[in-house]
Amino acid sequence: MTSAVPNQPGIPTAGALAGLKVLDLMWVVAGPTATRTMADFGATVVRIESANRIETARGLGPWYNNTQGPEHSGLFGNMNINKLGLSLNLATEEAREVLLDLIDWCDVLCESFSPRAMRSWGMDYESLRERQPDLIMLSTCLFGQEGPLSQVAGFGTMGAAIGGYIALAGQPGGAPVGPYSAYTDYLSPRFSLPTILAALDHRDRTGEGVYIDQAQAESSLHFMSTALLDYTINGNVPQLVGNADPSMAPHGCFAAAGDDDWVAIAVRDDHDFQLLCAAMRQPELASDARFAGLAARQANERELAAIISAWTAESGAVQIEYMLQAFGVPAHAVSNSGAAAADPQFEHRGHFVQMEHEVHGQIVFEAAKGQMSATPPTYRSAAPGIGRDNELVLRELLGYTDEQIANLAIADALT
Amino acid sequence: MLLTPYRVLDLTDERGMLAGQILADLGADVIAVEPPGGSSARGVGPFAGGDADPNRSLFWWSYARNKRGISCNLDHSDGQALLRQLAATADFVIESDDVGVMARRGLGYDDLSAGRDDLIYTSISAFGQTGPKASYEATDLILMAAGGPLILAGGAGEEPVRVSVPQAWLHASGEAATAAMIALRHRTASGEGQHIDISAQQSVAAATMSAVLAASVGAPETARVAGGMAVGPFTGRLIWEAADGYISLTFLFGAGIGPFSRRLFQWMSDEGACTQEDRDLDWIGLGAEFISGQRPLSEWSRLIDVVAAFIRSRTRDELFAEAQSRSLLIVPVTTVDEVANFEQFEARDFWREHDMPHWPDPVRFPGPFVKLSSHEIEFRRRAPDCGEHNAEVYGELGLDGADLAELSEKGVI
Repeated sequence: MTSAVPNQPGIPTAGALAGLKVLDLMWVVAGPTATRTMADFGATVVRIESANRIETARGLGPWYNNTQGPEHSGLFGNMNINKLGLSLNLATEEAREVLLDLIDWCDVLCESFSPRAMRSWGMDYESLRERQPDLIMLSTCLFGQEGPLSQVAGFGTMGAAIGGYIALAGQPGGAPVGPYSAYTDYLSPRFSLPTILAALDHRDRTGEGVYIDQAQAESSLHFMSTALLDYTINGNVPQLVGNADPSMAPHGCFAAAGDDDWVAIAVRDDHDFQLLCAAMRQPELASDARFAGLAARQANERELAAIISAWTAESGAVQIEYMLQAFGVPAHAVSNSGAAAADPQFEHRGHFVQMEHEVHGQIVFEAAKGQMSATPPTYRSAAPGIGRDNELVLRELLGYTDEQIANLAIADALT
Repeated sequence: MLLTPYRVLDLTDERGMLAGQILADLGADVIAVEPPGGSSARGVGPFAGGDADPNRSLFWWSYARNKRGISCNLDHSDGQALLRQLAATADFVIESDDVGVMARRGLGYDDLSAGRDDLIYTSISAFGQTGPKASYEATDLILMAAGGPLILAGGAGEEPVRVSVPQAWLHASGEAATAAMIALRHRTASGEGQHIDISAQQSVAAATMSAVLAASVGAPETARVAGGMAVGPFTGRLIWEAADGYISLTFLFGAGIGPFSRRLFQWMSDEGACTQEDRDLDWIGLGAEFISGQRPLSEWSRLIDVVAAFIRSRTRDELFAEAQSRSLLIVPVTTVDEVANFEQFEARDFWREHDMPHWPDPVRFPGPFVKLSSHEIEFRRRAPDCGEHNAEVYGELGLDGADLAELSEKGVI
């Protein structure tokens, strides 16, 4: 890890998206992931929060220095690097007036309220486009703006259930365990963000604004298209299979010597299997009829797993990974956060970024995913504390006077 | 459509095809380039009818839609020359080959951007273009292990388990589409293109809810919990057994989730399934009471047991119906057949039916990933056959039937 970068909230002037103005009315993970990426590449992103309703991500770990509290969430920190924070009490008329000024200011408005909220404030797209015909607006929620379930409150944990993902992970015959946490929150930004950027390009060429209605559950189904088609065409409903794969065996995680220490091994074909046997120094297995060919290895997978597990139990997972990869066998330690922090490839990519922080000493967050040769991301400021950038946003971005700001405070609009 | 003016040369296989599909759905002219023998993605199952058939790969059908398809042998010097000609007409190139392969063919970023400063060239790979693991052998499972999601899923002390429909390369492809669009904005402003280097390992780290940061920020490792997640000393349970299957219920305290838990206990109280004291707990501040020791942690386990007993006494339909009228965080854990028949997707007219040439019946595909006010994301083209648009695309370069016959003879197309 390189040395910590300074933490200086401000208005970015460089980057692929420099000059782009984004108003972020989203929360938790699905939405903020998309706006975080825009901020990394130079957009000015104003994130609205209220101390009256602490956002869910602030209540979730991992916690900086293992200390809980709304300003200590590593999840919130990771999702909101580089954004400016404005606190608005949207229950007040005055705060909603500020919101309208920000909507006039921005190029892109992103919101993830339930569908009725923006309508009740008169800030649905139809109303806003009359003020600002070239507005790009994203509304993102689990089920979308229409349909019988559109009013159902939904987190990504529910998206993982309703999108079929939970029922795709677990051991045969057991209960489904699902992928970790709010799985569809990780998928939906992969569709919302390219769409926003494409809409901006279209707007710049044509002057036409675009409203984007994202049902996160629908976007996410594109990550399981093949299973959906296998059902509608072939009638197959996938069962829980553990880590088994139809075209690879052995294929799974094997316990290594350490505590909760696992190594993933994927044997793609007979050639890989020969290499695995060589790496294990058990060449006789390579010619063992029980394991000759995919079908035989699948039929005798339990026996084979016992042999491999006896071997993996002798060494640490990282050591096994290095050995198997040296032989050309797909393998990797099943990394926890400690292993990830020590992973030389993550290190090479600069995946974990350190930043100075006035409260926590320093914080660590994940780098932007795309490495871009001409326009690298910049890391300028930590996620805002509630209301951290009120002055900057109200004065510099909106041009409010001292008197206007004082009146907002008196009206309890800035909490 | 949004990206109508742009052309994408899509050289990816199963490791990157979703990137081009996202751009194609948004309107770009995406040309998928396959080797003359067909893309390796055509070998990825499952297959319509069950048996492996390169024309019936459901992976190809899913992720080549809205693309035109041409064949080109990139290991043949004539094929490389053709590709360079084609790249000169493209705004974007996307590739997902093993690291170094494109450069060896003379088709790397440096080659194709020579004289083309504005080319946006995106490389998708397992671990990135450089670094100690750049040449690692990788599969979906290996990447989920390397990026951090795998260790978090499964029962405590048991083997970590993946989602059985491969996910890792789709995550990387989504990041690639995003980065290409960021680069487009820079190009419009400056005229400058660039090389984008996407690592699938980094991409899947997003699927850890930031748990991959725990050690780096001084927090303990996140415990693996079957059907739930550890929240500090608490278990946030997510998957529960109902009378006739499983449901997802997010049950926790705090400002975000607490109000939902209070409404759940109101319902349970109405049904005589919990005490008045439990119903009237401070569902917002309960966490602080546990942490301060004011209330013993064993109380949280007891509350989970109370909820579990109630959930077990109801069917999934009963729970889901009541969740809608009382605003609770409950949905059924659906299997793929239930997803395909889910009322909300039907009501929003999500699915799209298309005729496929190698299958007798119309096939129903997942529809638009978002709805737009200005345009509709349409299913303009089904996935192409290998080389289906050779005459059309190469014709635009000025090649005629005789030229194509000669190239075909030489094994170039």
